[in-house]
Amino acid sequence: MFTEAYMQRALVTALLLGPLCGLIGVFVTARRMAFFSDTISHAALAGIAVGFWLGFTDPTLPMVAMGLGVAALMLWLKEKTDLLTDTIMALLLSGSVAFGIVVISLLKGFRGELHRYLFGDILSVGPQEVWLAFAVSAVVAVAVAVRLNALTLLTASEDLAHVSGIPVRRLNYAFVLVLTVVVALSIRLLGIILVTSLLVIPPAAARNIARNLRQQIVLAVLAGALGGGGGVALSYRFDLPCGPSIVLTSVALFLATLAASRLRQASGRALRSAP
Amino acid sequence: MAEIRFHPGGLAIESRGVRVTLGDTQVLRGVDLHVPRGKIVALIGPNGSGKTTLLRCLLGLQKPDAGEIRLFGEHIGPKVLKRVGYVPQRLPLDRSFILSVREFLALRLPGTAGWFWHSHRRTDALLRDALEGLDLEGILGRPLSGLSGGQLQRVLIASSLLTKPELLLLDEPTAGVDRPGEQSFYELITEVHRRHKLTVVLVSHDLSMVYRHASRVYALNGVICCEGTPEEVMSADSLKQAYGIHVTPYHHDHGPGHHHVH
Repeated sequence: MFTEAYMQRALVTALLLGPLCGLIGVFVTARRMAFFSDTISHAALAGIAVGFWLGFTDPTLPMVAMGLGVAALMLWLKEKTDLLTDTIMALLLSGSVAFGIVVISLLKGFRGELHRYLFGDILSVGPQEVWLAFAVSAVVAVAVAVRLNALTLLTASEDLAHVSGIPVRRLNYAFVLVLTVVVALSIRLLGIILVTSLLVIPPAAARNIARNLRQQIVLAVLAGALGGGGGVALSYRFDLPCGPSIVLTSVALFLATLAASRLRQASGRALRSAP
Repeated sequence: MAEIRFHPGGLAIESRGVRVTLGDTQVLRGVDLHVPRGKIVALIGPNGSGKTTLLRCLLGLQKPDAGEIRLFGEHIGPKVLKRVGYVPQRLPLDRSFILSVREFLALRLPGTAGWFWHSHRRTDALLRDALEGLDLEGILGRPLSGLSGGQLQRVLIASSLLTKPELLLLDEPTAGVDRPGEQSFYELITEVHRRHKLTVVLVSHDLSMVYRHASRVYALNGVICCEGTPEEVMSADSLKQAYGIHVTPYHHDHGPGHHHVH
């Protein structure tokens, strides 16, 4: 079924970005940054609009730039004001979506494109995107492997990380940078609205059955691959939008692991209460 | 204020005129602190006395507005912090973060993320020295977020000992620990102090604990208002000076020497 080149590209990209999102997502969820990544992905809409307006044919660069701009604004507002993080993120999320929509409505000939960026489109994955996904996956995987101790300690406690000599601020910025790039790349497949799901659902599915962090990381990477690859296959087979197919496949995985963990708990109880 | 005495072996902590203002409140108003090496000492003070702020300054987490702090004669930075172990009161852990005790401890082992690639047996072998006497073998596989207060404290002490510190700072070490737990905590700290020959600073609002376990006590209330042996500091006059309120030493049925601030 994967004879067409565009289909092969979509599948390879999904098999790269799914595991990557699963890996990063373990730390995104543990650090309660899911809403943060949602804000960055919605800022990408403004990036796409501005990029189109400025004449960019490929919106990746403006998406990343706008995502980083909004992330920087978020960190700045958090430091300089007494506003709650949730409030700041809601403000920036709705603000950048509204800005993006206004710019798009002023442009002619873009509105038809909007749909594919909102919900993802396998047709939009060109050869360039595959290489980009490959390069980013490789760099991030190596970076996480090298800095796994620091990233894990940072997630457990920023104070402890600082005292242990970890450059907390620099690592936090690097993490936001990686997150922004991964989100911008994944928008091709998943769309702006659903991109956060690939950062959240595979780690959650893994969390259901993992007994420690190592297991959660390995299982989240696997769940990301299954969700991404399975979703693209479903999308192709049944002519469904790509993003929702990936999300539903991931949700199915989540439900399966949830059921497995419940069964395990129930059988554990039964064993203990047996005479 | 008691006379400042310089320890012949050099000072573990030395601060001069440390001032910190948070919002509209001047939390630290010129803290001069001199902690000799190799002792178990206590930094006490009521809530709001600036203990936590001073501790954050010592750890480089808070920059003083004025004044100077040195640890082992060096300015606070990554280099000297390598010689410091920090045991926080608790960790801001999310239950969804399933880091196990074994994994948490292994984060401090030298090398790059060996815990991820090594077998449990190999990791445990590397941890063995640090775990001695801490009674953690049974909970290595448990998630860190599911531990009791006492268990988490032992894990945090073990973790800080892995980097072989010369100074151990413990924040409210007996808060949330019951009486028997408190007793075993002090036995543990005494043992750690003896075995690792380090300086231990207990930061606490609980006066009863310092009486029996610290060899020197520093009372903080924006400034170090008195310091000395526990007997000196515990005398009602100097404590009154420290806390600015009336204090009566009284005896509990569970043993002598428990003093409370009213």
